[in-house]
Amino acid sequence: MNSPFPKSSSAAGEGKIIARLQPDGVSGLETITYQYPLKLISPSKPAEDKSVLVFLLSYGGGLVGGDQVNLSIQVHPQAKLTIVTQGHTKVFTSTKTDIVTRQTMRAQVASGGALCLLPDPVQPFAGSVYEQTQIFELAKDASLCLLDWVTQGRSARGEDWSFVRWLGRNEVWTLPGGDDSGARLLVRDSLLLDSAQAHPQMKTLRESMHAIGIMGTLILRGPLMKSLGEFFLAEFTALPRIGARDWRSEDAKKAEVIEGLSTAETWRRDRLKMEKESGLLWSAALVRGCVVVKFGAPEVEAGRTWIGSMLVQEGSIGEIFGDHALLCVR
Amino acid sequence: MSQLQHERALSNDAEAIEDEIADLERRLAEAKERQRQAQQQRSVVQESNLGVIPVPSPSQTILHSTANHFLLLLSDSALPLGSFAFSSGLESYLAHNKSSPSPSHSTSIVTNKPPKTKLPPPSFTSFLPLSLSSYASTTLPYVLAAHRDPAQLALLDDTLDATIVCTVGRRASVAQGRALLSIWDRSLSSSLPPSSTSAEAAAAILKPFSALLRSAGAPPPSSTTTTTTSSSSNPSTSGGGRSSGWNDPPPVSAHLPPLFGAICALVGLSLEQTAYVYLLSHVKALVSAAVRAGMFGPYQAQKTLASRQVQEMIGALMKREWERGVEEAGQSVPVMDLWIGRHEVLYSRIFNS
Repeated sequence: MNSPFPKSSSAAGEGKIIARLQPDGVSGLETITYQYPLKLISPSKPAEDKSVLVFLLSYGGGLVGGDQVNLSIQVHPQAKLTIVTQGHTKVFTSTKTDIVTRQTMRAQVASGGALCLLPDPVQPFAGSVYEQTQIFELAKDASLCLLDWVTQGRSARGEDWSFVRWLGRNEVWTLPGGDDSGARLLVRDSLLLDSAQAHPQMKTLRESMHAIGIMGTLILRGPLMKSLGEFFLAEFTALPRIGARDWRSEDAKKAEVIEGLSTAETWRRDRLKMEKESGLLWSAALVRGCVVVKFGAPEVEAGRTWIGSMLVQEGSIGEIFGDHALLCVR
Repeated sequence: MSQLQHERALSNDAEAIEDEIADLERRLAEAKERQRQAQQQRSVVQESNLGVIPVPSPSQTILHSTANHFLLLLSDSALPLGSFAFSSGLESYLAHNKSSPSPSHSTSIVTNKPPKTKLPPPSFTSFLPLSLSSYASTTLPYVLAAHRDPAQLALLDDTLDATIVCTVGRRASVAQGRALLSIWDRSLSSSLPPSSTSAEAAAAILKPFSALLRSAGAPPPSSTTTTTTSSSSNPSTSGGGRSSGWNDPPPVSAHLPPLFGAICALVGLSLEQTAYVYLLSHVKALVSAAVRAGMFGPYQAQKTLASRQVQEMIGALMKREWERGVEEAGQSVPVMDLWIGRHEVLYSRIFNS
């Protein structure tokens, strides 16, 4: 009997995905291999064909202390690949602090290709030791949408940044082109969350997180993500000034509601209200041809609702990669 | 006599002569010292009638060296880097935590989760360790790397440029870096002895760096910081970071940390001195910002600067970052990125960061 899953490669924790544009103009998989504890699944009868969808999973729903995962991704010219997860990536407790759980991803996207990675957040349990490195090499006209987010742990169990160490590094490089001299680093975004205090006077990790329960970074690059990037920049610019006062009378405020705002304005008003009530903070910047959005919120779901709302409202992700790309953010 | 014995005898002779010379030199030095003391005593006897206590003339003390001279210059608050224009997120931290929307009423409905850690009211004592830790983990490895190998300056500058993913932070780093480069060009470089190794290294590293910066279309570095106030209108394109926007980034940007490391190395500061001065300067800038933001007065400011806590924190952070390579540098206080990034959306601001 044939296994319903793609055949596995040999080395432990190794995985490989190659996406290419098929003759019918639809993105498909040329290669998909994986090895325990990594598991990759691509629906055989996809509901959408704007991009090819791969679920990045792990046996047992998480990474056990000492697990090593190495995923290599190639997106060929004009192909579009979407990667999602099913539920938080749990990082289980390490029995010893020198047992490091590692996840490494190296992705190359060729000209005209696009990669969308909107996974669930990583949830490091108390006592876990985790290092994550994600390196993206993009050809000149390649596009990337990358979301990387981490939570405080199992808050229902009182975990609040109770892990030993969490290191996360995302790098975006240009691929050396014909005329270019070589690869160049465009963005390196690193988080070093370490429970070890340099000095007793320094803050503990929990204090340093300042009551934030989820911290996320969204990196956008390339021609297909330009519209979404500009949307974030424009929304950031349109944020109400902190410390400003609304001098309008109650009647004027009510009149505004009655007169009817445009759909976009209503959405923004509701979103701003949600930001304020949930204590969500965010910022956006255009850095070396990439838009980098940072957000933090006391509650994990507030972070998810916010990023989902932003991505759905602008619409690019759904149009370019299909609605399945948004599975984890709504 | 064999060849070997002959050589040995010759070398014995040579050693004997060297010993004799050393002995004579030592005796000469002793005699001179006795003469100096005798002269001093004579003058003491003469002066003791006037009740003057003898003062030894200033010798080659630890202070009297070129390196220490530059140590004092580079650690001086009067060094015109324009640091006064930046609060490194302090102003934004205060604004965010004063008007902090308490999430309690909305979250209490959610579930039976344990109550959130209650945040202390905003204070300088809370902010200082966070800011210093963040500053050290993101930038100190670049200072150290540039000091260890100043020839890597341009590459370190470009790499650091890729890691500051926040408009406001870029503006602060680049404005101060360009100011330092300008001070170097116009003021410090001429005091290096010509044809010394440091002068040659400076010519080989900083001259091409300045040229590269100018070729990138950056305006010539000005000696003081431009106090941009028009930035509020459009954070995406504004600022001294001279963000390259959607285009390819310029070859170099002149961020402060690698330039500081390289220049300190060229004027002879040790790696430890450089790291210490770098972190202490950050504390000084924060303290001065706190004074101008009205958090406390000048005496409290000096008390903070002099405190053992600050000394120990700087030492501990130097130790923490000492071995960290630049590719491992990163943010240890993520909320700092939010505060600094959101400085743009403050209604009223007295600082540029």
